[in-house]
Amino acid sequence: MLKKRHLMGAAVLCVGVVLGLAACAPGGSTTDASTSRAVSKDVSGKDVTLKILDFWQGEEGKWMDAVIRDFEKQHPNITIKRTTQDWGQVMNTLNLRLADPNGPDIALVNNGWQSMGTLAKAGRILNLDAYSDLYGWKKEFPDTISRQVEFSSDGKQMGTGSLYATPAARSSLIGLYYNKAMLDRLDLPVPTTLADFERDAAAVKAAGGVPLAYGSQDKGSSTAILFALQNLYAPAEKIGDFVYSSGDVPITDTGIVQAAEDVKKWADAGWFTPDYPGIQYADAQNDFVSGKAAFRFEYTGSLQFSEDQKRTFGYVQLAQVGGEQVVGTGAAAANLSISSKSKNPDAAAAFLDFMASKAAAQHAVDHGFLPLLHSDLTIPSGNPELASEITAQRQLDEDNGYTPYFDWSTPTMLDTIGGQLQQLYAGQVTPQQLADAGQKDYDTFQAQRTKG
Amino acid sequence: MASSELVQRPEVAAAAPVATRRLGRAEGARADRRPRPTLSPRVRRRRWLGLAYAAPALVAYGFVVLAPILQSVDYSLYSWNGVTTATWVGLGNYVSFFTDPALLESLWHVCVLIVFFALLPIALGLISAAMLGRARQRGAGVYRWVLFLPQVLTSVVVAVIWKRIYGPDGPLNSTLRAIGLGDLAKNWLGDFTWALPALGVIGTWTALGFCMVLFVAGVAAIPVELYEQARIDGAGPVREFFAITLPGLRGQVAVALTLTVTGALRAFDLVWITTQGGPGTSTTTPALLLYRKAFLNPDVGMAAAIGIVIAAVCLLVALFINRLSDEKDA
Repeated sequence: MLKKRHLMGAAVLCVGVVLGLAACAPGGSTTDASTSRAVSKDVSGKDVTLKILDFWQGEEGKWMDAVIRDFEKQHPNITIKRTTQDWGQVMNTLNLRLADPNGPDIALVNNGWQSMGTLAKAGRILNLDAYSDLYGWKKEFPDTISRQVEFSSDGKQMGTGSLYATPAARSSLIGLYYNKAMLDRLDLPVPTTLADFERDAAAVKAAGGVPLAYGSQDKGSSTAILFALQNLYAPAEKIGDFVYSSGDVPITDTGIVQAAEDVKKWADAGWFTPDYPGIQYADAQNDFVSGKAAFRFEYTGSLQFSEDQKRTFGYVQLAQVGGEQVVGTGAAAANLSISSKSKNPDAAAAFLDFMASKAAAQHAVDHGFLPLLHSDLTIPSGNPELASEITAQRQLDEDNGYTPYFDWSTPTMLDTIGGQLQQLYAGQVTPQQLADAGQKDYDTFQAQRTKG
Repeated sequence: MASSELVQRPEVAAAAPVATRRLGRAEGARADRRPRPTLSPRVRRRRWLGLAYAAPALVAYGFVVLAPILQSVDYSLYSWNGVTTATWVGLGNYVSFFTDPALLESLWHVCVLIVFFALLPIALGLISAAMLGRARQRGAGVYRWVLFLPQVLTSVVVAVIWKRIYGPDGPLNSTLRAIGLGDLAKNWLGDFTWALPALGVIGTWTALGFCMVLFVAGVAAIPVELYEQARIDGAGPVREFFAITLPGLRGQVAVALTLTVTGALRAFDLVWITTQGGPGTSTTTPALLLYRKAFLNPDVGMAAAIGIVIAAVCLLVALFINRLSDEKDA
């Protein structure tokens, strides 16, 4: 009896509190974070400490430290304090950290709706247009790169509007890595087209080798191969427009069906690492680097080659099917945004500018990474692998063939396509059905986006 | 299922009877008071003193448990990306919980996981407890210790170990091939049919030790005379189990069932580390979708709604199981 009365009381209390709370919607009012105050390039004078939140560890961290050292040398009054955490940790907590007045002044923000879009819309990161005018960013950055960090101030449009971040002078592409030593052994040339690649792969298979190091156990990373192949079939503009929701491009115009047909064909022909549905991302990478397979589609900068291996591995951006043009997924390895709570936005902007400078790009090359925005750099000798990546990137530059990462198109696209790809391999869906599922994901998001 | 949850379980089990006892006393006290309209100052002071003693704990509890729950309920009524202003959707999130095919599928997966996380370990735990409890043979301690070991491992460690075991060239497949059952070898965690059961087996492995230790302790509390009497009456081991051991363990089974079923309902860490819900969507759980919606593609309102539903179902399961075991007691 008493118990029941207690329960009733608790229920009434809960309902009351909920109704009380319901009056106040969560989430603060959207502040306009446009740089209305005067901006200045002159950051000398008073001592300033900038807090930076990044996810660069290992060799990438050393690169960052080198860039910071140079910057501090140029601006002795500015001290930079780095906080480094792994990628997931940074991304999952960024929304809250940027709301904190004592939070970071500068943070690495991921492209796409999920991170940069949300933060721009909520006014958590500064609209950088004023600084862009000051430093000439929009003029200096190629269109395809600046588009990746643009949002309309209402957060409804991506790839147009104001600048909300600037790229670091280091790039990340998706393309084909090859094991030159293995190709030489079989007397095969380095492929430059899809047909070349398929001929080589068939020869490797015939010789009893594994053509492609690949595992699809990890959903997210299993999609790199598909995104790489889409670029061989669709014009760069179509993929760009689809991802940026500009115009009304159906997913079937992005080469996804042809790409899915290819990977399915290769899977069925036994070109992937045996038991690929049970192979994890890191294991597939290891298989490739340790010489167990001839090729691997991969993001640049994610394979750890030893000094010796840098001489026997290479990278190529395949030409489009039925054409000479080279189109490839490429973006800055990371983008830097300024917190709207930062007390020293001028100093922060100076650092953003430095991160996109030639000096930062040179440091990237020195640490074995692919540079961005700058080409007249000193390439260290003894790293033919990096040289091949740079050659591939120059081709992309010449053809202006950069496409954005396909998974920026909606917050759930990576998971959707990853899951569909696993189903494709298992014979549960056709390439067309995979595309349909992607389209459905896209449409759902578009409906939500326009609604607000 | 977090091993931390499992580690906490004995505390929960221990706390429950205390709570009911306290409630019982309060009930008694109030019944005594009824004829007297006013309380003596001493009693009143004592009452305030008691509350004062409990205040720090109550404040802490309110702050870390009650307030977040209410906040979650509030969030669940909005469509909110966690940053910008939220829009009121009423019960819309709850409606989509039961209409979204992805969530419905994950509910079915949870049903399968309950078999592996709760029913199997309890059945196996009962069998091993019956064997360990009946004959007090040498080495029982070692056996118990080995079975309990998975309980003290962090779930991340457990997941990583099993990922290796299930790997294409892992120990499981190697063993199958070595004994001539190579046809059965498969990509356990990459196979649409087998990934969920394979995950379930990991849960069985972790929960078994806990159930067994609980039941062995329960068996030890059953008077030896009962067993002696049963044996004099000529009962075999099976009869003995059903006539004495099982009824004697009713309370422990209820506790084990509550904790393991709620563990299955909340299954997240094992799934996240081993399959991330894949291949396809064949191993998604509501908790996994909650995490994804809360942190990866911000839909905080929906995430809160999932959390509230999971919490409510856990509560109902706990109430139902306790009611069931109480009724039998009476």
